[in-house]
Amino acid sequence: MAISGLCFSAFAQKVQFTEYDLDNGLHVILHQDKTAPVVAVSVMYHVGSKDEDTTRTGFAHFFEHLLFEGSKNIKKGEFMKLVSSNGGQNNANTTQDRTFYYEVFPSNQLELGLWLESERMLQPVINEGGVKTQNEVVKEEKRLRIDNSPYGKFTEKIFRHLFDGSPYRWQPIGSMEHLDAAKLNEFIAFFKKYYVPNNAVLTIAGDIDLDKTKSLVKSYFAEVPKGAPVVRTPYELPPITKEVIDTAYDANIQIPAIFAAYRVPGMKSRDNKVLGMISSILSGGGSSRLSTKMVDQKKTALQVAAFNYTLEDYGAYITLALPNKNTPLNDLLKDIDEEVLRLQTDLISESDYKKLQNQFENSYVSANSKMLGVAENLANGYTFHNKDSNDINKQLDVIKSITREEIRDVAKKYLNKNQRIVLYYLPKK
Amino acid sequence: MKKLFIIAAVSLLTQGISAQNIDRSHKPKPGPAPVITIGDPVIYKLSNGITVLVVENHKLPKITASYNIDAGPITEGAKAGVMSLMGNMLNEGTATKTKMEFDEAVDQLGADVSLGPAGGQTSALTRYFNSAFMLMAEGIRQPSFPQTSFEKLKSQTLTGLKSNEKSAKAISARVVNALAYGKNHPNGEFTTEASINGITLDDVKAAYKQYITPSRGFLTFVGDIKPEAAKALAEKAFGDWKGTALTIPVLAKVSNPVKTEVDVVNVGNAVQSEITVTNLIDLPMSNPDYFPVLLANQILGGGSESRLFNNLREKHGFTYGAYASTGAGRFQSKFSATAAVRNEKVDSAVVEFLREINTIRTVKVAAEELQNAKNLYNGSFALGLENPARTASFASNILINNLPKDFYRTYLQKINAVTTDDILRVAKKYFNHDNTRVVIVGKTEQFTEGLKKAGFTVNQFDNYATPVAAK
Repeated sequence: MAISGLCFSAFAQKVQFTEYDLDNGLHVILHQDKTAPVVAVSVMYHVGSKDEDTTRTGFAHFFEHLLFEGSKNIKKGEFMKLVSSNGGQNNANTTQDRTFYYEVFPSNQLELGLWLESERMLQPVINEGGVKTQNEVVKEEKRLRIDNSPYGKFTEKIFRHLFDGSPYRWQPIGSMEHLDAAKLNEFIAFFKKYYVPNNAVLTIAGDIDLDKTKSLVKSYFAEVPKGAPVVRTPYELPPITKEVIDTAYDANIQIPAIFAAYRVPGMKSRDNKVLGMISSILSGGGSSRLSTKMVDQKKTALQVAAFNYTLEDYGAYITLALPNKNTPLNDLLKDIDEEVLRLQTDLISESDYKKLQNQFENSYVSANSKMLGVAENLANGYTFHNKDSNDINKQLDVIKSITREEIRDVAKKYLNKNQRIVLYYLPKK
Repeated sequence: MKKLFIIAAVSLLTQGISAQNIDRSHKPKPGPAPVITIGDPVIYKLSNGITVLVVENHKLPKITASYNIDAGPITEGAKAGVMSLMGNMLNEGTATKTKMEFDEAVDQLGADVSLGPAGGQTSALTRYFNSAFMLMAEGIRQPSFPQTSFEKLKSQTLTGLKSNEKSAKAISARVVNALAYGKNHPNGEFTTEASINGITLDDVKAAYKQYITPSRGFLTFVGDIKPEAAKALAEKAFGDWKGTALTIPVLAKVSNPVKTEVDVVNVGNAVQSEITVTNLIDLPMSNPDYFPVLLANQILGGGSESRLFNNLREKHGFTYGAYASTGAGRFQSKFSATAAVRNEKVDSAVVEFLREINTIRTVKVAAEELQNAKNLYNGSFALGLENPARTASFASNILINNLPKDFYRTYLQKINAVTTDDILRVAKKYFNHDNTRVVIVGKTEQFTEGLKKAGFTVNQFDNYATPVAAK
């Protein structure tokens, strides 16, 4: 309650929006901004790799591809052509938690965007032909992004241990064997279960007329039948109490790397935001602690980073370093650990605290500079923050309310050696 | 209570909306095309020659600025890598601040400042912008070039080179340019362990003296700032700066192969091979061919609706994506068609690449296909306006490329006037088929035989584009 008073703070912009539900449960968010003749139309489905069967991993990402194959009224191969040939851009991406489809059009093509996304939701064509083509494409994507990519396998290796016992243990790309084995009716069943209006958010941002847009949304989406409620089994993982050490080998690299990963709370939690601030202290900007010490002063590291890999139910807090001049990996880990310990022991200075606030405010302003970014941030709020689309306007206030003591305590609570995975990532001979 | 009231109001609103009649079986018609207006940036010239461009946009409480020096392509020769080292050295401290103090000052503002071999840039919240801008200027004008930083950057560069030694992508980027332009051309030369080891701090200082200068400099402000304020800041930071006068180099023309050749590099660990079909072109932006070439490239391989993507990915599943790109500008540039293809399909993919290039050179594109490409350009032009910096880049492009003042105002008009005959003509002229170069970096044992069977002569090169004698 105390936070609401802060909403009037002078800095940054407030993102205005209107939201409502259609009868079929589709949540609609509209944001009007007439500064450029552009409109972003997006649908966020609350489905990701964590919703997959353990023997059918990769389904959500596979659907990201499959749902470009066409619909009752859109011929195979036409979907992307309809976008580009009408001056738009489109794409989609899949995480462990959600799938996000979008088009950005000149604003006079709003209706086309609504038609495309409603066709995709109402009556996509899911057949053997499409499955076969996309199966090959997904395999190439895996080769490109993971198998052929230097350091491409670290999340897979880390998550397998860190999230053992939950679906976060596999990656969105999934298993090619599972995809090969899957039958058409399994794909259709997955669609019927998750790609329903009551599991989706339609967000439209840009140069729109609100009343006209509402009317068009109703015309295109109201007829999509409501699906059964999506029920998720929450996974409670037992705490990690003993350090796990593993090694990965990668034929694409020459320089090894060392990773340490800690399981942390998911994106709803306040601690998640605190960990974001901790990343900034450790490795955000030239004056951050790890960069200054290891890259500039000791010159032992080529690169060093700390980041919070945020997921809905949990998160992975990851530190990593690549050695310069053949520095042993254990020396790098020791230096990182010292800085973590310092955070757990001493409060950061007032000046460091002010620096953090300025950095977060700057990146917040930039994150909402384009219509697609605004659309995604609004949808994230609704999907992941207890249906609170207004989360977008609260983020900075939360950051402001986090104290130096909290930063120290969160580091102490989660970033402990006996709670982590250490991964030695080595060149394959 | 208040919250409940809001919910009630929202639901009333929803009921009040009635649906319009729609026909799903057809693509909906667009509304009237939005009016596209391109504002002009305010342009000043400082007495030392720096061109200042200001785009005022108060939507967000933020300002970005950049300083770009237009030196043209720079030949580094035996000292390949010196420009990049010099650029990095600008971030290593100034006459008044150590690197640590400089970084601390920047981060304290929550700002970004980065400096490189062609200048620098900064972005900051409005209330911190003046300080951030002065830091950028300090980095550009008064670098301290500490020896210890130089050693650090050299060792990082060497480690970095090593880290890319086995990456098919990195090898391909290097070898393609070296073969296309030749290793003595500024676009074809590349950094090696030997070239880095041969660079001294004095080389870096000399490069700084020669290339970091007000001459041919463009200082651009975009965002929450008034032109008068920007001008005052520019004067304060750069007004009394003097430096070497730059002239744009003249480069000897490089020719394409007389007959199509296939050049391969073996990377044993690759699971995908990088395929590039490439030839050099001469296409200044002022050439009337510029607009038809943009559209021809779009039709061939501009995106996921284009021919290469549809053939190699959607029809054959050889790759995650296949694209074409065509350069333009004051100097020779590349036409290239590329994809990362799984090793065992490389020979088939090469055949399909050449087939598509041949087709667009010999068969007129359909009117509808051309219209679609035009629509895409019309749309992208509108979408680009979401970025206020676009106006500034339009203006500096006009100055750098010596284009007519109305180049971007009449841009869509010129796009829309292109005919299918134009496409055929420019495809033939700029996209080579019988005299092109196919470069493949990957696991050669899996495709060399196939290529030979398909009738190609295969030349082998090592990771640094040196021919390998056939066994």
